[in-house]
Amino acid sequence: MLLPKFDFHEPTTIEEACQIMAELGQKAKLIAGGTDLIVNMKRKVLSPEHLVSLSRIDALKNVDLSDGPLRIGACVTAAALAESEGIKRTFSAFSKGASVLGTPLIRNLATIAGNLVSARPAADLPPSLMAYGAKVVLKKSAGERSVALEDFFRGPGQTVVGKDEILTEILIDKPLGYTGAGYIKLGVRKTLEISLVNVAAFISLDSQDGSIQRARIVLGAVAPIPIRVPSAEQILVGEKPTETLFVRAGETAAQDSRPIDDFRGSAEYRRDMIEVLTRRALEMAFNEARSHE
Amino acid sequence: MSEYSIINTRAPRLDAPDKATGRATFIDDLNMPGMLFGAILQSPLAHAKILNIDTSRAKKLPGVKAVVTAEEAGLVKYGVSPARYDETLYCHEKVRYVGDEIAAVAAVDLETALEAVSLIRVDYDDLPALFTIEEAMVEGAPALHEGFPQNICAEVHQEFGDVEAAFNECDLVRTDKFISKRQDAAFIEPHGCIADYDLSGHLTLHTSTQVPHYVMRTVAMVMGLPVGDVRVVKPYVGGGFGPKAEATPLEMSACILSMKTVRPVKMNYTREQVFLHSRARHQFIHTMTTGVKKDGTLMALKNECYLDGGAYTSFGIATVYYAGSLLGGPYKLPNMKYDGWRIYTNKPVCGAQRGHGGVAARAAWEHQLDIIAEELGMDPIELRLKNVMVAGDTTCNELNMSSLGMKECVEAVRQGSKWNAKRGKMPRGKGIGMACGFFVSGAGYPIYRSDTYHSTVLIKLSEDGGTVNVYTGSAEIGQGSDTTMAMIAAEALGVRLDDVRVASGDTEFGVDLGAYSSRQTLMTGHATKEAAEDVKRQVLEVLSEKLNTPVDGIDIKDGLIIFKSKDVDFSAIRARYIKEHRGWSDLPRGNDLTFREAARTAYLARGSIVGTGKYKPPELGGKYKGAAVGTSPAYGCSAQVVEVTVDMETGKITVDKMTDAHDCGFAINRTSVEGQMQGSLCMGLGEAMFEEVKFDEDGRILNANLGEYKIPTALDMPNVEAIIVESNEPNGPFGAKEVGEGAIIPTIPAILNAVYDATGVRINELPLTPERVYMALKAKVEKGDTRD
Repeated sequence: MLLPKFDFHEPTTIEEACQIMAELGQKAKLIAGGTDLIVNMKRKVLSPEHLVSLSRIDALKNVDLSDGPLRIGACVTAAALAESEGIKRTFSAFSKGASVLGTPLIRNLATIAGNLVSARPAADLPPSLMAYGAKVVLKKSAGERSVALEDFFRGPGQTVVGKDEILTEILIDKPLGYTGAGYIKLGVRKTLEISLVNVAAFISLDSQDGSIQRARIVLGAVAPIPIRVPSAEQILVGEKPTETLFVRAGETAAQDSRPIDDFRGSAEYRRDMIEVLTRRALEMAFNEARSHE
Repeated sequence: MSEYSIINTRAPRLDAPDKATGRATFIDDLNMPGMLFGAILQSPLAHAKILNIDTSRAKKLPGVKAVVTAEEAGLVKYGVSPARYDETLYCHEKVRYVGDEIAAVAAVDLETALEAVSLIRVDYDDLPALFTIEEAMVEGAPALHEGFPQNICAEVHQEFGDVEAAFNECDLVRTDKFISKRQDAAFIEPHGCIADYDLSGHLTLHTSTQVPHYVMRTVAMVMGLPVGDVRVVKPYVGGGFGPKAEATPLEMSACILSMKTVRPVKMNYTREQVFLHSRARHQFIHTMTTGVKKDGTLMALKNECYLDGGAYTSFGIATVYYAGSLLGGPYKLPNMKYDGWRIYTNKPVCGAQRGHGGVAARAAWEHQLDIIAEELGMDPIELRLKNVMVAGDTTCNELNMSSLGMKECVEAVRQGSKWNAKRGKMPRGKGIGMACGFFVSGAGYPIYRSDTYHSTVLIKLSEDGGTVNVYTGSAEIGQGSDTTMAMIAAEALGVRLDDVRVASGDTEFGVDLGAYSSRQTLMTGHATKEAAEDVKRQVLEVLSEKLNTPVDGIDIKDGLIIFKSKDVDFSAIRARYIKEHRGWSDLPRGNDLTFREAARTAYLARGSIVGTGKYKPPELGGKYKGAAVGTSPAYGCSAQVVEVTVDMETGKITVDKMTDAHDCGFAINRTSVEGQMQGSLCMGLGEAMFEEVKFDEDGRILNANLGEYKIPTALDMPNVEAIIVESNEPNGPFGAKEVGEGAIIPTIPAILNAVYDATGVRINELPLTPERVYMALKAKVEKGDTRD
């Protein structure tokens, strides 16, 4: 399969990139790792006239773990995320998501922003990022805005990113004490998988043996976009964490989700797995929360 | 220690340095001056009449050099089995599956060729398409091929002994149904080729194939050329597993386009086209009824099988026979009845794949034998040992087990896996299972009816005496056959492995039927051994004359000449050799005459020293219809134990350990034998757990890529304990026989049986995806069955 013809731009600053996008708009696509875009171009699903590469913009490749929120540049690869000890320590579920994305070859190329803007329902990074309450920064020549990841996805392949905007950064507030999270991906084989279901859970306790203060449950691959399950979260808040409680949350998450049948799996199986994986992800989150002072 | 110097060792592969460094030449590395690029137009519809094909716009596109359709290519029928040639290079009246070839284009580059293909306009009239065996077999269903009512491509009805009478004597008779799924072979290198028709009318085809000889014949027949004007040359090949064991429309398109343009034409399948061309594993639906005595004695098997064949026959006739005949062993089974039907459907064509026809049948039966063992209260291993055949036994369908270490394999895996300590003692969610199998070591007959030798080998000593050149048409496709032939030649001649060079995969080197049916070690090996012995005899004869000592008093070992008598004086030979090589730094010295000196002496006396070898099996098998399928000069066999963990809440299986024992006769290269065992188990694991080609409602493949068609990754493969069990096969060179396919045969049922042991649930349908396992567990809970 051959690539269609296109013009290639390689800006070296974010400003320059914004300018190009302001001029070209819909005729252009941004490219970082290209693991999604190039495949779709070869299959002629997409044939942009221009590709604007972000690879030469060094400012997009930083991970800032110092004070304040964790800041991740758009072009940080999944491999770099998975290898970061700092991320693993503080954001274990996100680290896990990065480590199970694709294969080592794909992880070496695929970037965090690419995994978000491609907006695949089964993507590995959005669930945990949503569970941690992440925000993204969207820039254009005329200014910038910040959007909660929860409000970012519009449908498969669709986001709120404007045609002249660039996702430059992902921000996650550092969790307070006694918080934890878990991420589970269920596929057929051990790697190189598209999730049948994935679940991220986040729990914050009021003390080591206390009640649940905040909870977020995010499901992937069971709706057009990754979704939170408020009904299941509400069951948890204010309660003492117990096995029965997590079972109930799992059941509620399953009941309130609307997965579909496709060639990868049936709706029935997906719904049943939401129950199991939600419970397991909550257990992971709880175990981490108790030990994270 | 073995009495041999070269064989039975772990010699490194001859091609290892080139492959490890990327220097090995595959078809995509080849380019020729003036080369054009070809592309094929394939049908977007599963079943339709062709009303009109308009190539005028494609022909006008600048850069296009030739456009061919059935009009130019003609309507020569071809296929695999001459009894059922049902393909033409391009469709004429109708298309029969999504992917059926309609036209091809050669152009100055691939972009232009693809654009030209998109400019060909075809008008179709839709026909009802048949996608399942049930739809296709309905009385009055539209026929894919005229003259084949109910779309029955081939059917087999055989009975050995009297099955019904035997069932009446049984204490236990049970029937089970088993469903496998269509597969892709998922070799890493997609097909590719370059055809080069020269101005003297000779056609050379460089192609990624398992069978240069058969490709040469089919190409010659379809192109209307004398066989002698067609040469097929195989570069290194990145795997075949069966689907590359026949001539492809890709190869023949390149040939006709090269003949039209008199320029080299390169063509490749994309991965999607590999799936569309397919020729991989059929879907099998087996219904088996087995009867046994209380003590576990096997009495009778009734086997009914339907195969979803796709739109043409390919290897299918052999496949439908194999799905019956390969259950004749390795157990003593006095009565066996087989009814098989291969059905045409409007889908890509199925053919031969590793373990041809025998894999699903074996999975179904070994799974059922496990159920029977449980019902009889027997250990599954004891049930098998009770019935196992031994060397010298002949099956009820007249296959002779000239060597058979089946019992030894079973004992080896029992011990190697610590079966006795584990079986019945594992916690819920963990299980252990086992199965056996056997496979041909080379098909007993060629695909076309002929008295041809199956292999001829030519060995020529270089005139300087230093190198042994082996020329064979056999196909190194990654399995290591070149190294095997080098080792056999070195051993038989008495030289060092480093002294041997192998040139293979070229039809100019002689006849070799190729890399299929696990035949090359035995058959090409025989011919190689004979050629080496021929060369050795000639060298020894010259030495005998020159040194005035009897031939049987001289031998060659490790590159040195061994004389029985101490009084042989070879100083004149050495003196002459040294005189010829004044100034050289590597002159022979020491107390022994070297092979190099001896070979040089032979050349000086007789001219170039050339030895030839040949092999064809003796007449094999019974006289009944279809008796040829399943015959072989020898049979390999194996036993496997698999241990699994099943996540009882998600249905996800982890294979924790596999223990495999394989009787390969005498192992020529122990590392290669283990490599084939590992590879077979990996492929079997994929078929058992993940692999299925899926279609949408219009007959288009949904997962024609290696992201969505799931073969095992390195992380899915557990540690494999590979145990080589050696028997001495009387019909094999140095006692050797197959390992390439036999090792896949027990893998699926061993996994099925382990999953049952872990979960208490029998699953009769592949693949064992988490969903399928989970749903079976859920159904059991819903039925209120709490038995563990």
